[in-house]
Amino acid sequence: MPVNVWVVIRREYLQRVRSKWFVISTLGAPLLILLFVVAPAYFLVRGGQAEQKLAIVDGSNVLYERIAPYLVGEGFEVEEERWYADVVTSLRKEATEGEIWGFIVLDELTLDTGEAIVYVTTRPSPIRQLTLQSAITRAVMEYQLERQGVDAEALLSGGELSLELLSEERTSTEEPQFWVAYLGAFFLYMVILFYADSVMRATLEEKTSRIVEVIISSMEPWHLMLGKILGVGAVGLTQLLIWIVSGFLIIAGGMPLLVSQSPELMQVESVFSTLPGLGMMTLFVCLFIFGFFMYSGLHAAVGAMCNTDQEAQQVRLPMVMLLVIPIAMVSVVIVQPMTAMSTWFSLFPLFSPFLIWARVASGGIPAWQIGLSFLLMLFTVLVIAWIAGRIYKAGILMAGKRPTLPELWRWVKEA
Amino acid sequence: MIDTRYAIRLDGVTKCFGDHAAVSELNFDVPRGAICGLIGPNGSGKTTCIRMIMGILNPDEGSVSLLGATPDDVRRKRVGYLPEERGVYRKMTCTEFLTFLAEIRGISRTEGWRRSNDWLERLGLGAWANTRIEALSKGMQQKVQFIGTVVHEPELLILDEPFSGLDPLNQDVLEEIIKDFHSKGTTILLSTHLMDQAERLCERVCLISSARKVLDADLKELKAKERTGVVAVSFEGSDQWLQGPEIDYIRESNGELHLILKEGADHQSILKRGLEYGVKIFRFDLVGPRLHEIFVRHAGTESVGDAGLPKNATMELQ
Repeated sequence: MPVNVWVVIRREYLQRVRSKWFVISTLGAPLLILLFVVAPAYFLVRGGQAEQKLAIVDGSNVLYERIAPYLVGEGFEVEEERWYADVVTSLRKEATEGEIWGFIVLDELTLDTGEAIVYVTTRPSPIRQLTLQSAITRAVMEYQLERQGVDAEALLSGGELSLELLSEERTSTEEPQFWVAYLGAFFLYMVILFYADSVMRATLEEKTSRIVEVIISSMEPWHLMLGKILGVGAVGLTQLLIWIVSGFLIIAGGMPLLVSQSPELMQVESVFSTLPGLGMMTLFVCLFIFGFFMYSGLHAAVGAMCNTDQEAQQVRLPMVMLLVIPIAMVSVVIVQPMTAMSTWFSLFPLFSPFLIWARVASGGIPAWQIGLSFLLMLFTVLVIAWIAGRIYKAGILMAGKRPTLPELWRWVKEA
Repeated sequence: MIDTRYAIRLDGVTKCFGDHAAVSELNFDVPRGAICGLIGPNGSGKTTCIRMIMGILNPDEGSVSLLGATPDDVRRKRVGYLPEERGVYRKMTCTEFLTFLAEIRGISRTEGWRRSNDWLERLGLGAWANTRIEALSKGMQQKVQFIGTVVHEPELLILDEPFSGLDPLNQDVLEEIIKDFHSKGTTILLSTHLMDQAERLCERVCLISSARKVLDADLKELKAKERTGVVAVSFEGSDQWLQGPEIDYIRESNGELHLILKEGADHQSILKRGLEYGVKIFRFDLVGPRLHEIFVRHAGTESVGDAGLPKNATMELQ
């Protein structure tokens, strides 16, 4: 690659990476995720942990030994209180004096219906309430099932279901995979369009600020365009990698730490375990790269043939409208990834970055189709680069009227 | 064949945009080491001509030779080109921007950095070297643009309307730098619609009007050849002696009276008449015609309006 192109790439990259916007969005996104997803769960649990010391008055004489280990596991500090006439009054006093947070009264009725009374000084968090309630009902069920000689533990842990697939796999919208596929495709759409749009704006800015004539008097316009696309693409890649790595760190490092602190987060962790692995992340990055090359080439050409931002947005509109198709189709493709329609649409190169992701994430695509889609995208990248390079060369010095379609065709032919 | 005598040669060059001929059958040479003016009203084809020299536009007909051959990347890097419409990367600092320009012309980063700072010092912008260009005044930005043109020490400078937008003080600074480059042997081609400027700076001029070359000659020879026409006078007494058949019209310029003579008229007879009238004559000086007059004479008044604009001024198609 000519030295010139490297110089342009470096300028484009450093200017952008050093900008406030880049730093804020790159660091801000993981922080926001942390803030909106993990932090509320964490604080919910932390809030509950202050409500620790709990006395249990067991009138049934069989429930305490079953409830206590479970509640201790959930972070409570439990003590058994013998049943006597004024027990409620004296525990009430202890609680108001702050010696305990509250107490539970269990009796024979609890054994039949699971009903119990919890006396507390402060209102517990919903999670805490649920924990207490399930501790009691679980203990009751265990007791009742054991009385009938049933393996209560296996039943209560939810049994086991072995899955034997007889037909093609389908992902329902209830599954976490659906959301990985859906949000992943949508995220790809956003980053690809965002960075392609950056290329268009940068081109337009160079054109309107008139710096471009100085630059292309020293280098081929085609090299300038290439440098610009590669530079902006490198910025996008940097941002993606930072996000992915920090995401992994949060999940791999942060979650076990959180879970060890507060076992209630186990549920949140199980959602994370359905997140895509390294192979999927590599695919994601590759789809970004190919998608970005296709769309940034088109955007560079649009930037070069227009004179104002409004004009460029207008010309860009049909392209963005076209993208409504794959985005609208994502959910259909995820649920039915193997139908002919899903296959053909996902193999259309301009849609591939989004729909191939959706099909792979929902597990409905043969490997050869992934390979084929990348080949088709590569071919499209080259065709777009060839056409865009020509439009760019002819358009970048044009002022005045925007070219009509026949004029554009002439540019491509004559350049 | 590489002809080393000329930095620029245009041979029968024509460029049309649609039906409009921006440049028509232009032949024009710039010898190495010369300082040459490309002169003409706005919209006459100067910028198109320069863009073809730089290889940014390809001529429809004819050939362009830059530093001895076609304007390719290697040759263009040896040229310092200041376009008429020039911009900057506003978010970059002065040194970053200038180093970038040096680098895309093949200068190493460290060397580009050093030269940029030297030039910024030289033009009094040393304190602004690490300031973003957007924070600079317009005059300062123009200086930065000029440094960007010369930072790679080109052997040929092509300056398209270099003085436009500069205040008189900075015009003088720029003029001095251009003269300095010229004295060091750099070939310079500058386009301007300001005849006075061209007259002060240039050795050669090429006059263009309505896409066609009108005149292309050494300025001194040209003036000597067209010398007969103008007499500058100052005197005391009646001005009756100035009414005679030799004089076409009289013009006052910078407090001086200029007599524009009819073709073939003898100035001696005017002087004789003055003495006869008993006028005290302090000065009777046969001056060379100004470039403006030469241009008007050759291109015809119809092509030059009051401000050097063609009468049917249209924006140049680009």
